[in-house]
Amino acid sequence: MKKRITFTQALFLLPLLILLGIFAVYPIVTSAVYSLFDYRTNDQTVAGLYTSNKFNAPLFVEDCGYITWYLGDDVTLLEGEDKQKAEQIIAEIDEIAAPYKEVNEVVSIDGDISQNVVDKMTSYQEELKAIYTKNSDKQFYNGYEKLELLFNEVYGCKISSNFTGLSAYVQVLKDTRFGDSLKTTLIFTFISVFFEFILGLGLALIMNKAMKGIGAVRTISLIPWAIPTAVSALMWSYMYDGSSGIIAKIFADIGLISAPEAMLLTGSGAMTAAILADVWKTTPYMALLLLAGLQTIDTGLYESASIDGAGPITTFFKITLPLLKPSILVALLFRTLDAFRVYDLIAVLTGGAQGTETLSIYAYKLMIGQSNYGYGSVVVLAMAICVGIIAFIFVKVLGAELLSDD
Amino acid sequence: MQNQTKTFKIVCTIIIIAFMLIMIFPFVWILVTSFKPSTEIYGPTAFQIIANNPTGANYTTVIDKGILNSIKNSFIVSVITTLYVVAVSTLCSYILARCHFKGKKLLMAGILAVSMFPQMIVVGPIFNMFYKLNLLNSYWVCLAYSSITLPAATWIMVAHFKKIPIALEEAAHIDGCNAWQTLWKVIFPIALPGVFTCAIMTFISAWNEYLLTYTLNADKAFQTVPVGINALRTQFAILWGEITAATIVVVIPTLIIVLLFQKQIVSGMTSGAVKE
Repeated sequence: MKKRITFTQALFLLPLLILLGIFAVYPIVTSAVYSLFDYRTNDQTVAGLYTSNKFNAPLFVEDCGYITWYLGDDVTLLEGEDKQKAEQIIAEIDEIAAPYKEVNEVVSIDGDISQNVVDKMTSYQEELKAIYTKNSDKQFYNGYEKLELLFNEVYGCKISSNFTGLSAYVQVLKDTRFGDSLKTTLIFTFISVFFEFILGLGLALIMNKAMKGIGAVRTISLIPWAIPTAVSALMWSYMYDGSSGIIAKIFADIGLISAPEAMLLTGSGAMTAAILADVWKTTPYMALLLLAGLQTIDTGLYESASIDGAGPITTFFKITLPLLKPSILVALLFRTLDAFRVYDLIAVLTGGAQGTETLSIYAYKLMIGQSNYGYGSVVVLAMAICVGIIAFIFVKVLGAELLSDD
Repeated sequence: MQNQTKTFKIVCTIIIIAFMLIMIFPFVWILVTSFKPSTEIYGPTAFQIIANNPTGANYTTVIDKGILNSIKNSFIVSVITTLYVVAVSTLCSYILARCHFKGKKLLMAGILAVSMFPQMIVVGPIFNMFYKLNLLNSYWVCLAYSSITLPAATWIMVAHFKKIPIALEEAAHIDGCNAWQTLWKVIFPIALPGVFTCAIMTFISAWNEYLLTYTLNADKAFQTVPVGINALRTQFAILWGEITAATIVVVIPTLIIVLLFQKQIVSGMTSGAVKE
């Protein structure tokens, strides 16, 4: 009999909800929001989520300060009309910057006002350029080049809305690099899970029959599974090494690859290397999951089958496989999702080179490598959609039972 | 017939032995290399099993380079993560296993969905969050691990709580225990094996975590084992002697855990995945 929940009992759920709220739900929602913006933290004109026109006041004031300071030095070398004009520009820039001196953040501003500021600054830049060219015989302290850099930064202070809506999702469909990494991910996932399943099932069947020494086999199987993927990938990258890797040498000696160097430096070699390392690490996991499933099958069924004269092959297809189906589906689902999300292994082994760039690697390079959070989030969400499709196929089409009903 | 079963047994034994050899071989080879001086790792002696001049120099070098500090960090991070994840998942799993409420199915599905989501999805926003809160390069990374460890831990705990007969709680309730007392004084001691399984599994996944620490804790002082060992590969040279020695050093804790707790690990792996 189940009881209805009381208030105190509901409180027991609170820590879970808070933690998952902060570290799972919030990031997922944030990613979804990022994906609607052209958000790149290494470009100050799009370094935030701006739905309206903004003005980077602190940077503007700082840049104007530098411009007038540099100009103030150089002005002392000028004479006559040029000197007057330059001094006037200094005064005017000071005047424009004055209202923003007290503003310490990026502010919302009317688009026309910021455009006006930019227009004025452009005209000053042109006038100054003319003055500097005219007096090019003089040895200025700072020179026009320094000012030009500052002016360019000033133009970036006018921030237009970087809301792009769903257009990045259209872009991702046309992105060939995305298409390639999706294909790589699918190939990696399909081949490694296929081999893991076949080998794992074979091993589970044998381990289920031969009970002697099963403890030792189980212990040894657990070690590759338990060590960090980043460490196992490093171990394999040594064994695949072109000059001192034993696996690369063995493969080259038996003619699987043309030379030991080909293991990590050709497309097919690198993909095989990644799949092999993954199969090595997770076949034991698959075998143990399937073994646990096999052990729940009533041995009486096998006895009756053998009395009825069923051979081992009939028994396997008529009894073992149907009864093992729930375990198989769950094991396959978890492995497929894990392989689809692969990051550590590829990152350490090849870094995504030689056509082994999976979706996770591509997304990471975009987001953390290039600080392109907007487009990176789009790739990540596209990946999440794929994960959803995979889970849907397993649960709804194949009938994997994940949520036991009670 | 007798003959056939005998051949079958021999074939099975051969397959099992081959499997074990394949599983062990990389470790043996790494161990062999770790004792070679760097001159013997390259060139004609690269594939020799016993080094001509065995040396422990690789081990002393990696210890000097701070591999023990990475192990210490991994321990701190994994222990903190295990402690809070076990506490939180025990609390909520008890309710999820025992009570009915609106939206329970949705919550369970949500927890499952979080464990299925690509981890990459949380990395960007969490990096920004930690950057703004000035938590980068600290042990606060433990909290970020909750998105990976909590769903699995909850799953394991729910499966274990469901096995405990409900009559015990009813008795405790009649004796005047409130929900809190029932959980910690009656149910928790019985559920200890499950709690332990959950703790081991959480510890291993925290120990193995790479992506979040790599992103959030770039500072060498806070690197955990998976990140620290990969930092030994420099841009200019890959010193396999040091890397293999470091691998052996960092695999030892995992080896001990597997040897001591293999029963719990297998039970943790299969709980939720296999209907009993």
